[in-house]
Amino acid sequence: MLALQSVFPNALRDRLSHHQSEIWNKEVFFSTNSYTSLVAPSGTGKTTLIHFLYGLRNDYVGTITFNDKNIAQYDAEALSTIRSCELAIVFQDLRLFPQLTIRENINLKIALCKQPVRANIDAMADRLAITHILDKPAHICSYGEQQRAAIIRALVQPFSYLLLDEPFSHLDQENTQKAIHLIHQICAENKAGLIIADLDHNHYFPYNQQYSL
Amino acid sequence: MFALLLAVILLLMAVQIQVNFSKLLSSENTRDSIANFLVINRELTDANIGNSRLPDSLIADLQKQPFTEAIGTLEASRFKASIESNSSRFPFYTDISFESTPSDFIDVNTTDWHWEEGESLVPVIVPTQFLDIYNFQFSISQNLPQLTPAIVKMIVFKITIYGQGNKTEFNGRVVGFSDRISSMLVPRSFMQWANQKFATTALANPSRLIIKTKDPSDPRLINYLSKKGLKTDSEKTRFSKFRRIVDIAVLILGGSGLIMLIFAVLIVTLFIQLTVTSCKPEIILLLTLGCSPRELTNLLLKKFFSPGLLLVTIGTLATAVLQYISHYLLQKKQVLLDPFLSPYTLLVACTLILLIAAANRYSIIESMNYTKKILPKATNGYPNETKEESVTA
Repeated sequence: MLALQSVFPNALRDRLSHHQSEIWNKEVFFSTNSYTSLVAPSGTGKTTLIHFLYGLRNDYVGTITFNDKNIAQYDAEALSTIRSCELAIVFQDLRLFPQLTIRENINLKIALCKQPVRANIDAMADRLAITHILDKPAHICSYGEQQRAAIIRALVQPFSYLLLDEPFSHLDQENTQKAIHLIHQICAENKAGLIIADLDHNHYFPYNQQYSL
Repeated sequence: MFALLLAVILLLMAVQIQVNFSKLLSSENTRDSIANFLVINRELTDANIGNSRLPDSLIADLQKQPFTEAIGTLEASRFKASIESNSSRFPFYTDISFESTPSDFIDVNTTDWHWEEGESLVPVIVPTQFLDIYNFQFSISQNLPQLTPAIVKMIVFKITIYGQGNKTEFNGRVVGFSDRISSMLVPRSFMQWANQKFATTALANPSRLIIKTKDPSDPRLINYLSKKGLKTDSEKTRFSKFRRIVDIAVLILGGSGLIMLIFAVLIVTLFIQLTVTSCKPEIILLLTLGCSPRELTNLLLKKFFSPGLLLVTIGTLATAVLQYISHYLLQKKQVLLDPFLSPYTLLVACTLILLIAAANRYSIIESMNYTKKILPKATNGYPNETKEESVTA
């Protein structure tokens, strides 16, 4: 289970000290099998929170626990295991290797998994309509194509939580719908929880919890 | 990379040359081991002529010297003796004297080297020089046949011993040739028995000693002998001069190799750090995606260690080839070198591999730490969302 206990980012202390938030300085639990929406305008810490949950940053007060242990206390090796087996993520800035092909980017993620993975990359790519760019270097693909590739890269690993940071920001409605269906299906297969951060209220998924940052 | 290869070859060659030289001086091989045993006697001058005995105090002092490994006395016969041929086809007769020394100091290994009271056959060891003088001077001038060592060993001759009014005859046979001691040697048991029974003069201190030395090229040995008015075969101590030359050569080779190695390892280390630092974004992204830092470090170690391992292997093989060529060329000049590299050289090669591995490991771990350190910590102010943030992994 992922949980926040009175977490407040150091970097936003001045800016958000008078801001009413349903997340910062509150007790929040994210259980597996539940879908959570985090909505906030720019600059209120959506990406910061996603990075806190992923263990990328620890410049905050309060405690974030994962499986009942303070995530800041996991060592580097333990964090790498969590990132390859428990937490999947789609970064807002995607973070693909630009010089590698889309297929290589996805295969690299599979190679980093510490458990055997049976993912059908071609089928997923077909569902998201990016089959034609699978063998092209990431840097020559459009941002929308890269975003769909980043979604597939997140879905090929085993996970108990999927963290999404504005995952459909560069997708049209049709492609967004395709991505939503695929994510929904894979989350169900993994019996995983989903935490999505976005600028506006949305109905992408049947949310169990919705918070304003 | 070429500098590293050259440094490896120079260092290994320095070690191998030192080992080769030490082995030449202490080889078990008869031809080469002469230098380890030195026969010592007083240098005869007008002042000490007729008094060449070596006192017990000098022997005890010599025993205590750091260069002395073992010391043995050469016991001379104190009776008259002659040898003559048993064959009329090859007649000879000569008066002779014998010496004996403990078997450990003799450079002939043969099961025939023993004598017990009652045995009629006395084994004799003669200097190799005697046979050379016979074959290359005497036989030519007297129109006699030349003799090989094997033929000489088959000849049985008569030894006659006189003294105290007695006369006893034995059969003698040459059982070996010594490069080390220029005397007619008989077993010590025979000498002691014969001296007791036939001696015409009283027992006295020996005139000659034989010492086994760890290092015949030790300059302290030469100084000691000179100070005490002793002399030995100067041919055998010429290694002292060679030793200095070899030491200088080894120092130059080893020193150059070491300096090159230090620079080469430094360059390799910087190259690794530069490469890892230039891959900083990729490394950070890999860690972000869940790559194990330990596995990533091991992967980099393997990648950078393989060329180092290959270079040391090539360097070792090149040194081995040089050693084999040296062995082949010097064999013709009666200098017997091992055809293969010494264990010390291989040990140094292994040490170099470990050194390169340690340098690689250090530079990779340092680079990985540095890569993490130089990233923005994002602790002051709100970070740009597209900017890379620090990775706590």
